[in-house]
Amino acid sequence: MSTQAGQPIRVHVEALSWVNKFVGGPGTGEVAIEETVKPGTTVRAVLRQVTDRYPQLDHALWDPGKPREIGDNIEVMVNNAVLGVTHDLDSELLDGDHITLLGQYMGGG
Amino acid sequence: MAQAGVVVETSPRGAAASVPGGYAGRLLRVDLSSGRTWSEPWSPADMRTYLGGAGLGAKILWEEVPPEAGWDHPANRLVLATGPLAGLPVWGTGGLTVVTRGAMTNGATSTQANGFFGATLKFSGYDAIVIQGQARKWMYLYVHDDQVELRDAAHLLGKDTWETQDALSGELGYSGHMLSVYSIGPAGENLVRFAAIQGDYGHVASKNGVGAVMGKKRLKAVAIVRGTHALKAADPRGVIAAADEIAYDLKTNPAARTLYEYGTLPAVVNLHGMGALPIKNYTTSVAPPGVDMKEWEAPALRRGFDHRGHQCSACGMHHCHMQVIPSGEHKGEIVDEPEYEGWAGAGWTIGCTDRVAVSWLNTRVDRACVDVNEFGWVCGWVMECQEKGYITEKQLGFRLQWGDAEGANRLLQVMSRREGLGNLLAEGMKIAAERLGGPAAEAAIYTAKNASPRGHDHRARWDELLDTCTGSTGTLETGPPVFPTELGLPARINPFDPAQVAKQTAALNGRRHFEDSLGACIFTTRTMLENLARALSAATGWEFTRDEAMRFGRRVGAMFRAFNLRCGIGPELERPSKRYGSTPVDGPAKGQSIEKHWEHMLDVWYEGMGYDRETGRPKPETLKALGLEWMIPAVWPKSGKGARAAKTIRSPRSAKRPKVAKPAQKAGLARARK
Repeated sequence: MSTQAGQPIRVHVEALSWVNKFVGGPGTGEVAIEETVKPGTTVRAVLRQVTDRYPQLDHALWDPGKPREIGDNIEVMVNNAVLGVTHDLDSELLDGDHITLLGQYMGGG
Repeated sequence: MAQAGVVVETSPRGAAASVPGGYAGRLLRVDLSSGRTWSEPWSPADMRTYLGGAGLGAKILWEEVPPEAGWDHPANRLVLATGPLAGLPVWGTGGLTVVTRGAMTNGATSTQANGFFGATLKFSGYDAIVIQGQARKWMYLYVHDDQVELRDAAHLLGKDTWETQDALSGELGYSGHMLSVYSIGPAGENLVRFAAIQGDYGHVASKNGVGAVMGKKRLKAVAIVRGTHALKAADPRGVIAAADEIAYDLKTNPAARTLYEYGTLPAVVNLHGMGALPIKNYTTSVAPPGVDMKEWEAPALRRGFDHRGHQCSACGMHHCHMQVIPSGEHKGEIVDEPEYEGWAGAGWTIGCTDRVAVSWLNTRVDRACVDVNEFGWVCGWVMECQEKGYITEKQLGFRLQWGDAEGANRLLQVMSRREGLGNLLAEGMKIAAERLGGPAAEAAIYTAKNASPRGHDHRARWDELLDTCTGSTGTLETGPPVFPTELGLPARINPFDPAQVAKQTAALNGRRHFEDSLGACIFTTRTMLENLARALSAATGWEFTRDEAMRFGRRVGAMFRAFNLRCGIGPELERPSKRYGSTPVDGPAKGQSIEKHWEHMLDVWYEGMGYDRETGRPKPETLKALGLEWMIPAVWPKSGKGARAAKTIRSPRSAKRPKVAKPAQKAGLARARK
């Protein structure tokens, strides 16, 4: 999606399944949040903007020992790829990018 | 009831005062060849060194099972072990660890099941049962405190695992949790190579053909009456405090809380989101059109059935459930709520997305008693092969299409009875594919070592693919990361960065062997390692730290590896099959190819483990650091046949050699190893 230079961009943040409890959801399905940010805003900055509004998500997402890093509990995907593949926390986002917050899986069977 | 009763030889229990808290202090030994049973103490020093479960089993395998004794040899040991937390009021401490030389890899096995067996055994005064020999006729083992008997099991033959438990409960006159029964089903009786051991209606020690080992010994079941022996903790208040912290963690930690509420059910949607849900034998990573993944979220999965909690010993989790089939031909049947692995192996892997059908089929798998993962790979492969014309309807005897749960059950039954093509399929995915050959073989999911991959699409979880191929226990040895930051490791790595994945996998190795040596459930140990070490310290009176826990786990891993190397299972077998290591064609992992990175990943992993890349052996300095100096002469003999270039590792001098197999047994071994 293209935008004019300097125009704000929109980034979609989806909290899936039990993670959406932390943003006021029912703990099932998805809760979508749309963030409007300046061009060049990073993944980290968008996530920080969201977690500043939702303290429970803030607690669950960030590493309490290293507050600038993602903790043990939630997987972050950008445009359907986990962090490290196409984006990392300091990657700049484009208009229309999707961030997905997916609960970390610690099970087995 | 016919009985071949043998009262246990009891040596005095006077030494109990020196036994650390949490332990019964004795091992129950059973020799099926002679019909003899006896109990023997084990030393507090060995308890500290090997803990129980996987650790104790590793010691017994190394000391008592020489390389000539394959999985089906009478000298093979079948160890049913608890650990120092079993029977204490810590959540999920009723399970058992099964250690043996397994039928799939013909190497070491460590596989767990939950329920009540571990606590019941501990209350009977034993930390483990060590079974050797081979009975002349089918028996079951009955344990009621000091009364230990091998009894005729002829009337149980052909019964599935639930029917076996029903029958024994009825004839022994115990109900509910007064009697714990772990048994094999028809698959184990017929030596299906991926047969499992199931107990307490729904708990399965599933990996590496432990059910085939039990079947070869002609042991149908082990039935333990809840015992009356006292079990003490060194610091009872400390145990309660640690148990409370573990429970609090499980209830409040954002990730662990899902396990607390729903067990492993949330994994279906989660893994689909990551491209790691195995769909139709790895032919796709995307749910088919028309399947709403919201219906596969944990609350929806549970809501679809009338259900009741089916908690294990001392467990407060809302994990295990029984449910009722709500509709269709099997309406009203009570089944065990599938774990994630059941939804995958009896469902997605075979293209079945009818939740009622999957739930029903999953329990059929448990009752015939095979590993649901291997079942999924075999069944999905047959479905794909029929679709592509590699296996004809005539060859199989019926048509089997994607998603056909009734047909899948028919396949399960012919495999369990080794009828027709089922006889070949009962050998497991690797052997069946290699014997069939051609393009069919290229569609099969297995490892060269013949360890069954878990029910994930590991092409999107490179850590688990590497772990499955390199592990020494017939399954994952490291498992998915649990609080890696506690160990100073990054919480997140790029899952497709070969070096990062291999380094992280090696660094996390050890935790699981520690967990599996405690007598605790793998799901209630989803807490900080620090908490587990604290619980262990309070139970035993030792000062056990997090660092010691990791060192302990890596020690056990090195012992299993050395055992396997001694059995001729080396690094040349550490690779995936063509399909297992292929590149996903769609979904979040589309285009990610592990194949070209494989050798580099092994290089990094070996470096991280402290193992020798060429021979696979733990390096002398690694053995020393792990407290295994005494293994160095066997693992690294200085000269002669066992020197560096040799492929095998020496047996310990102290090990008892088995009697030389008779020609017929040798022929059987050769057949089994093909």
